[in-house]
Amino acid sequence: MKKTFPSWTVGLLGIVIVILVPVLYFFPRADKVSSNPMDYLPEKPVHVDHTDIVKGEFKTGQDVTRACLSCHPEAASQVMKTTHWTWESKAFNVPWRDVPVTIGKINQINNFCIGTQGNENKCMSCHAGYGWEDGKKAEQANPENVDCLACHADTGIYGKGLFGNPADGVDLLAAARSVRAPTRENCGKCHFDGGGGNGVKHGDLDESLYFPTKNNDIHMGGDMNMQCTDCHQTQDHQILGRMVADNYTINPQEQVSCKQCHVNQQHADERINTHLSTVACQTCHVPAMALEDPTKVLWDWSKAGQDGRVDDHFTYLKIKGEFIYEKNFKPTYLWFNGNNEYRYILGDKIDPNGITYINKPSGNINDPNAKIFPFKLHIAKQPYDVVNKYLLQPITSGKDGFWTNFDWNNAFTIAAPITGLQYSGQYGFAETYMYWPTTHMVQSADKALQCNACHGENGRLDWQALGYPGDPIQWGGRDK
Amino acid sequence: MKNRNILVALGLILAITAFFGIRSALAKPEAVPVKQVAPIHPTFALLDAAGKNVLESGAAISTMNSCGQCHDTDFIQKHAFHSDLGLSAYRRSSPVDTPDGEFNASNGMFGEWDPLTYRFLSQQGDERLDLSTAEWLELNGARAVGGGPATISREGKLLTSLNANTKDPETSLLGRTGKVEAWDWNVSGIMEMNCFLCHTKSPNDQARVADIKSGNFGDANTATLIGTGIVVNKVSDGWTYNKDAFDENGKLKSDFVKIQDPTNANCAACHGEVHTNIEVPLTISAYDLTNPQTATTGQVISAQRISDSGLNIHGKDALTRSWDIHAERQLKCTDCHYALNNPSHTDEARKSEPDHILYDPRGLDIGEYLKMPDHNLARGQSAQFNVAPEYKGTMRRCENCHDAAKGHADWLPYIQTHMTAVACETCHIPQIYAPAIQSYDWTVLTLDGQPVKAYRGVEGDPKAVTSLLTGYEPVLLNRTNIDGQKLLAPYNLITTYYWVYDDANGNKRPVRLFDLKTAYIENGVYSANILSAFDADDNGLLSKDELVIDTSAKEEAVKSKLESLGLKNPRIEGLTQPYSINHNVARGENAVNDCKTCHDDTSRVSQSIKLANYSPNGVIPIFDMANNVNATGEIVKGEDGAVYYNPVPANDEMYVFGSSRVNWIDWLGSLLFVGSLLGVVGHGTLRLITSRKQPKGHVRTERIYMYESYRRFWHWLQTVAIVILLLTGLIIHRPDTFGALSFRGVVTIHNVIAVILVVNALLSVFYHIATERIQEYIPRPYGFFDDAIVQAKYYISGIFKGEGHPFEKTPTSRMNPIQKATYFGILMVLLPLQILTGTLMWGVQQFPAVANWFGGLPFLAPFHSLVAWTFATFIIVHVYMTTTGATPLEAMRAMVTGYEEVETHELAEQGETK
Repeated sequence: MKKTFPSWTVGLLGIVIVILVPVLYFFPRADKVSSNPMDYLPEKPVHVDHTDIVKGEFKTGQDVTRACLSCHPEAASQVMKTTHWTWESKAFNVPWRDVPVTIGKINQINNFCIGTQGNENKCMSCHAGYGWEDGKKAEQANPENVDCLACHADTGIYGKGLFGNPADGVDLLAAARSVRAPTRENCGKCHFDGGGGNGVKHGDLDESLYFPTKNNDIHMGGDMNMQCTDCHQTQDHQILGRMVADNYTINPQEQVSCKQCHVNQQHADERINTHLSTVACQTCHVPAMALEDPTKVLWDWSKAGQDGRVDDHFTYLKIKGEFIYEKNFKPTYLWFNGNNEYRYILGDKIDPNGITYINKPSGNINDPNAKIFPFKLHIAKQPYDVVNKYLLQPITSGKDGFWTNFDWNNAFTIAAPITGLQYSGQYGFAETYMYWPTTHMVQSADKALQCNACHGENGRLDWQALGYPGDPIQWGGRDK
Repeated sequence: MKNRNILVALGLILAITAFFGIRSALAKPEAVPVKQVAPIHPTFALLDAAGKNVLESGAAISTMNSCGQCHDTDFIQKHAFHSDLGLSAYRRSSPVDTPDGEFNASNGMFGEWDPLTYRFLSQQGDERLDLSTAEWLELNGARAVGGGPATISREGKLLTSLNANTKDPETSLLGRTGKVEAWDWNVSGIMEMNCFLCHTKSPNDQARVADIKSGNFGDANTATLIGTGIVVNKVSDGWTYNKDAFDENGKLKSDFVKIQDPTNANCAACHGEVHTNIEVPLTISAYDLTNPQTATTGQVISAQRISDSGLNIHGKDALTRSWDIHAERQLKCTDCHYALNNPSHTDEARKSEPDHILYDPRGLDIGEYLKMPDHNLARGQSAQFNVAPEYKGTMRRCENCHDAAKGHADWLPYIQTHMTAVACETCHIPQIYAPAIQSYDWTVLTLDGQPVKAYRGVEGDPKAVTSLLTGYEPVLLNRTNIDGQKLLAPYNLITTYYWVYDDANGNKRPVRLFDLKTAYIENGVYSANILSAFDADDNGLLSKDELVIDTSAKEEAVKSKLESLGLKNPRIEGLTQPYSINHNVARGENAVNDCKTCHDDTSRVSQSIKLANYSPNGVIPIFDMANNVNATGEIVKGEDGAVYYNPVPANDEMYVFGSSRVNWIDWLGSLLFVGSLLGVVGHGTLRLITSRKQPKGHVRTERIYMYESYRRFWHWLQTVAIVILLLTGLIIHRPDTFGALSFRGVVTIHNVIAVILVVNALLSVFYHIATERIQEYIPRPYGFFDDAIVQAKYYISGIFKGEGHPFEKTPTSRMNPIQKATYFGILMVLLPLQILTGTLMWGVQQFPAVANWFGGLPFLAPFHSLVAWTFATFIIVHVYMTTTGATPLEAMRAMVTGYEEVETHELAEQGETK
């Protein structure tokens, strides 16, 4: 016999193959793609403590930025490409305008504090940049105006004041030494307090999320303790997720989605899965908003400036008018495909006797990409030009602003050259609707909606308004 | 009054509007318009018993006349077991009629004795009047819809046509003092079938029940409408009606016509806890017989998650399933319990159709149906509600809506086998979370005239908020369905103890509550005789522990008391009754879905249930057989004095893998295996010892190419296959011992390897036939026994003496006679048998009929195990035998390399040995 492998090894190999191949082929196996959402969370870089790295002395915010840029030279140019800096969307072609339009706080209005133009000294305390006292053009041109600290410093040490500059008395060296990856506190400083106070604007974002319980938000609360950036994943300072209200169409790739992490996960209950083509995750898993802190649902500017009324944060402020806040309430449900059907552009004509939509989510029962989605509806009575029939943006802050002298005419007159909107001299108040998608304060399955939250006698959905002939349990769904 | 309310309301609305200013102006789009209830129902006049409009007569409403203007109320009443309640099946239960001395006079609430409510409906000629028809209605009327026994006598006459007579249980009443009083139905009125009770949204049950309890039966139906704006109030000579509710023609205005299909709340009023508003945490209103379905079984119908309920349930946080998946899915009671001739519930095809008809469109027109809707509602296979038994099983059951084969396809083996033995409820109602009655002991009385009650599924008093509700696992009993199918289904068992006596007619009767009270209680306290017998600590009170008949002295004390009341032969009896559980269904993920729940040593199928905490002076209850439940288990008294029911699945001819074991198979198999092991070890040791005494190398050997490659390959492949099959088979056989391994994975390996083994065996058979080597395996009959004895002798003695093998091993004749016989047995008998039984066991899922013809799993599985044991034994012996070659390892080496050193013998020698 040759000194190679003895012949029986061939047989042995044959037996092993004959046994193993069929067994492995038929053996029940788990899916290759992980269905554990935790596997899809971004990996966080190890935090580098900057205490010993950052040296002073810093007199201005720009001094700090210069120091940051010495090691992170790309950072400012990256930030300057983001909407956190520009406060302006890309240009959209919209059917009701001949030229492309951009949307953002920088040039458009909402139905809360209305608009930032001319109000920079106050509004820019939430802008990720310094130096608005020099005007928009100068401010936006200078990379050293990028405010690194707003997103990276310990919010207990750093805070912003007028014109986007650091607040008086902030220890800039201590702030610069505290930098780290953004936390819920950094994002929350602006996003939880949007609209002028805790929870005013969003309904699903408020200061209760600084230290949330699991019942407040299953992701941020409890053991998960997720940070905003776990979902709003970030590359080169470009943060995933687009503000629906300040866009016209949004590329789904740019939007945060539950499916980022919830891959390959189906409900054990097939009946729930039959809903997935028509109902967004949020619809069932965000059954209510403003769970702990109330949010503003109605703002009547027409009552502002009245003398002799007692100021109360939740019902009336002389500078702002009358409000209604609500807490732990059901969202409004609309078909939604991720885009806006309409977004009010400064100068758009309105029907002062009807409802003007600041934004109107796009989608209907016949749109295969649309799902039923929860929204916070914010209703306002806000000023418009009686003659020109468009919404007006007042100057509110500053010594000539409405908040100082309570003179609407003056507030509109001085705003005209800034906004470019002519003021006829006659103003009135028109009703506006603004829709805010409700997507935070997510509840676990055991607290999500059940069938009869929507179906049956006291369901929360208005089927006819959604385009159904009646409850789909009886009438069939849109796919029949 | 009404107008003022409206004004006040309007004013309030205005005020709110003013206050919130814009808010009310900006009506939110989510506001859902209020749906009008059944707007299609036309308006109608309310008529009294004489057919006159009640607006004119001011009399009570007659539902039969009012609704009878359009609907055939006579038909409806005659086709409604809710109304009949057993009246039509009523017949006296005397020794003449029912020789076994049963209490029951009918199969319904009217005449069927219920030891929970205890009061016995007296029959004509009974020695003592217990419950007269009038008092029956007073006590049970809250849960009776009227008509039937509330209007008609047992003989079929109108109750109002009977003359008041203290001798007749239909026209009398047992007064508080024990004196029988006459009852005049013309004064009390009769209670017609109350359409409003089920067909209006909020019937005024409180007012209705108040009238019933005070014997004003004729007013009960009208009282149901108090608060609807139609009926104002009762006056001395009749009723006042709200004229504004009627139009100029005397018909109800459409706003006041709120007739609707029965809702879950309507059904709940009489049947049990139904909680519809999931935003309000569920609480249970009562654990007594006003809430019977919940009290007797713990069933609660609600879409709410158990974790969201307001009950103090053990481990509630984790119980995120709903109380009942069908309620969660928006099913209404009437979706399953519908009117049988409702055209929207027309079945696929009636049973009387020719086979090829799948659907018969010829049905009732909706108008015809509405005129004569059958109020015999579709129903299931309840154990305790036996009225109109001909309608049992008319309901769509689980399998009519759910395809079990598809629903379980992804995980459950032997689906068909499971479905023909186990009712869906068994797995899908794994646990009841609310407490239920366990026992009522009427042999003693509390001072307020109640029995001593015990509940299961709760620590302490079920109504106390501090009591921890633990719920309970229903006991599984075999139910005989109306079609004869027997299925294992979940039940609560309620046990009652009570006194009976023989009355003057020789009929057995339960001791009247009145007599029992007289015996126990005098002037509101326990009587002296009772106290002296029961009051162990002499404190003048009877504690819970004292108020139980646990000694003969206590029994005698009560007995003599009862005898002194003239009761003949008073004695204690016990009855255990099954209450079926069909609601509180869980989805698959919350159902029993772990095989080991049943297929294990501690199986759910044989799990016992406590019947009562004690047996009064040793009286063991008997199982109530007057239902569709086959109680084949045993009622035993435990060491703790409590009474238990132990199911015995074998008595129902059930074989449950993992639970019902055929132990002798394993014993015999392991004996065989261990015996052989010991045998070869002994034989080997002897050989070892004797071989040392013998000179070596005297046997001549020769190197021969014994096994060509295919044989070797075939052999080793089979070896590996058999070893793996034995190991995986063992794991499948005793999953409880190998819990760490994936049962499903092991089964897959077993099945795949089995296929490989079969293919390998077939190929090898083909090889052996083609090469004619099959002959080697066939023992030659001629001289076989002689040769076998020679070979056996060699193994017994020659081998120890160093003698040569009696038969030479050559490539063409490799086996000695014993080997031939053994292999013949293994390959021609055992292997085919094992393949056959294995295939059939697998095939039970695919072609159950064939497998059942062979005895089904109960035979196949133990048999397969037995053969497996013999295979294991064979391996031991076979491996040992290979060591008897020229050298111990020579044969094995040969099977690897093909070449073997074999003994060669002189021809003469061979002849000599022969």
